[in-house]
Amino acid sequence: MVTVKLALAVVLLPLLAAVINACLPGKTNKASGWVSTLTILCSCVLSVSVFFKTWNQHDIHQQWLWFTIGDSQFHAGVLLNNLSALMLALVSLIALPVHVYSTAYMKNDRGYKRYFTYLSFFCFSMLALVLADNVFLFYAFWELVGFSSYLLIGFWYTKPKAILANKKAFIMNRIGDIGLLVAIILLYSQYHTSDIGQLFSNGATGAALAAQMPGNAQWIVCIGLFLAVAAKSAQFPLHTWLPDAMEGPTSISALIHAATMVAAGVFLLGRFYPVFTPTELTILAVIGCFTAFMAATIALTQNDLKRILAYSTISQLGYMVMAMGIGAYASSFFHLVTHAFFKCLLFLVAGIVIHEVQHIKDEYQLDIDPQNILYMGGLRKKIPLTFIACVIAGLALIGLPFTSGYLSKDSILIQSFEWAEGKGLLHELIPVGALVTSWLTAFYVIRLIVKVFFGEFRLMEFDPGIKLHISDGNWQYRMPLMLLALCSLFPLFSYNPVLYEKAWLFNGFPLITGLDRVNIYHTIIPVLVNLVSILIMYWAWAVYMKKKALPFPETGLLFKFSYHQWYIDALYEQIIIKPVIALSKLARWTDRNIIDGFIHLLADMGIVGSKIAEWIDRYIIDGLLHLVAAIVLAIGNFARRFQNGRVQYYLFSMIAVILAIFIYKTLF
Amino acid sequence: MINLSDFLVVSAGLFCTGLFIILTKRNAIQVLIGIELMLNAANLNLVAFSRYDKIDNGGQMFTLFSITLAAATTAVALAIILNVYKRYKTIDPDKIDSLKD
Repeated sequence: MVTVKLALAVVLLPLLAAVINACLPGKTNKASGWVSTLTILCSCVLSVSVFFKTWNQHDIHQQWLWFTIGDSQFHAGVLLNNLSALMLALVSLIALPVHVYSTAYMKNDRGYKRYFTYLSFFCFSMLALVLADNVFLFYAFWELVGFSSYLLIGFWYTKPKAILANKKAFIMNRIGDIGLLVAIILLYSQYHTSDIGQLFSNGATGAALAAQMPGNAQWIVCIGLFLAVAAKSAQFPLHTWLPDAMEGPTSISALIHAATMVAAGVFLLGRFYPVFTPTELTILAVIGCFTAFMAATIALTQNDLKRILAYSTISQLGYMVMAMGIGAYASSFFHLVTHAFFKCLLFLVAGIVIHEVQHIKDEYQLDIDPQNILYMGGLRKKIPLTFIACVIAGLALIGLPFTSGYLSKDSILIQSFEWAEGKGLLHELIPVGALVTSWLTAFYVIRLIVKVFFGEFRLMEFDPGIKLHISDGNWQYRMPLMLLALCSLFPLFSYNPVLYEKAWLFNGFPLITGLDRVNIYHTIIPVLVNLVSILIMYWAWAVYMKKKALPFPETGLLFKFSYHQWYIDALYEQIIIKPVIALSKLARWTDRNIIDGFIHLLADMGIVGSKIAEWIDRYIIDGLLHLVAAIVLAIGNFARRFQNGRVQYYLFSMIAVILAIFIYKTLF
Repeated sequence: MINLSDFLVVSAGLFCTGLFIILTKRNAIQVLIGIELMLNAANLNLVAFSRYDKIDNGGQMFTLFSITLAAATTAVALAIILNVYKRYKTIDPDKIDSLKD
């Protein structure tokens, strides 16, 4: 099959680039950037052709024997359906501008070659993850994307914060990985196949699973899958790694932590969608909605440019998970695709802004954080192209008409209202939450744009002599921005800028409802959402541009709650990290004092024993010998006095002895 | 009448004198004289006891040999003393003690 070979080439080319880059000499070998960019360009062209060959055609599923255990044969292969073809094209399309951007963004970095090696390796893992048809293979690549993300978050490994962040990301992703592994093993034990296609054609639906599997196994499968999704796609309660992951290079945040890897969780939901029962889907929707709302409220008050975008990403991922939960399967993917473009664009913009501020900081030796938006402002005249790109991406994020975000977000909102209809008041909370989140998004996007691009350049307050000779940069910066900005507008997705129902993407997915304009929601919601959004945007403009009073003062309880990210990190610190550290300290103490102590006690006892033995040896055994020697010496010393060489004395002694003998004989 | 015991008393006196001289004198020649005295005390005993051997006069004969031998040994001893004097520049027996350990 030509298509399969093309798809394999798409996957393997970045791997080839990673291998070549790893073998290249030198740490800053500029060739590595071009190797990676060229291969991703080829991958991109090939994946687009694969996409056109498979979109709305028959699924292509080819597999080869992988290994055999006993009688069980495991096949590995390629599953090309609409979902994977779409993801394949999306990932490589996003990766291409990011690669081009990176060649300029990282050009002065000492780890240039390492960066591109990791980047190509990530692209390989992500593309392979999308294509894998075997759950075990899927799991392997799932781990590999997490691993390459870990490598890239900690790319600047001399920064302690980056090391902390990549450890945090890795550990939180491990929690999800365990969930995924448990789910895979349970599914395998039930169906004896590791083939994703076969799994669901055998009828592994939520209801069937619940009936077939013993006990609460079906719930465990779904909880495991949910953990995997929550860890990878940064959903509550495992979302806290994503804002910290912004310690990596900004181009990495754009590719991995905004557009592709974090979407892998949503992709996983799509792959395993039939496993969930309606109740579980509702829980999923609740969690997604809560995450979206929470992250949006946090984004309102953050001052770090990349953290705002990170929380915005969490919020939008919450939307996607919520859309999955309410059954808006196609809309969820639609939002995934549109979000990938405009969020990637926002991160690239942030990268340029931070890059320029960093320049100024280095040049004038300022003591500032180059990512803090409070130090920016007035940049629109200096970097106009970046500003325009940011506005387009921001409007797409808010979801105003003529942008791609409008189409996908409104489709989710409308379907959530349809879903909640007639289900009771509690269910209505989900669409309302989504709606409020959408308005909050409008507020923080305008806040960000105003603080960064409008007003006075606030660094002047530090040093009025600062001269701003900054620009949009060369074509390696401009081209990706323009490409992604075009992709963030409506024409790529629908010829009709206001009616999402006309988007071509919906034709590709079978599980579709809500495409018919049957009720009032389809008209009233877009109008309502956008009118209120525009009002809120104006309000935010008034607050930050014209310096009107803040709705919530910075000393207020709500402000603090949001500024400290709902105290979730602090809570984890208190209830998980501290006990774990206490436990490990206890274990260390036990190890050191009890286990080692026992050994030391044995050693001490040995030492005491040998000291006693030494004492006995020295004073008793040696002493005995010394005593014998001393006696011999004393006798010798006594006896030698007689041997004084005086002949007369000898004679006298002789006579004295003889006399003594005679006296003795006479007396007795 | 001179009894045997008188001879023996004289002999014992001679012997003791000789012994005393040997033990106390700081001169090798004097020690040699002491030795001669003790020898002659023994000779006197031999002669005195020979009255009980009137036929053979064994004591007398033995004494003659003894005197001859004593003369010979004295000659040898005097030669030794001369050599000792040559070597040590003294003939005090107390000072010639290089045989001690």
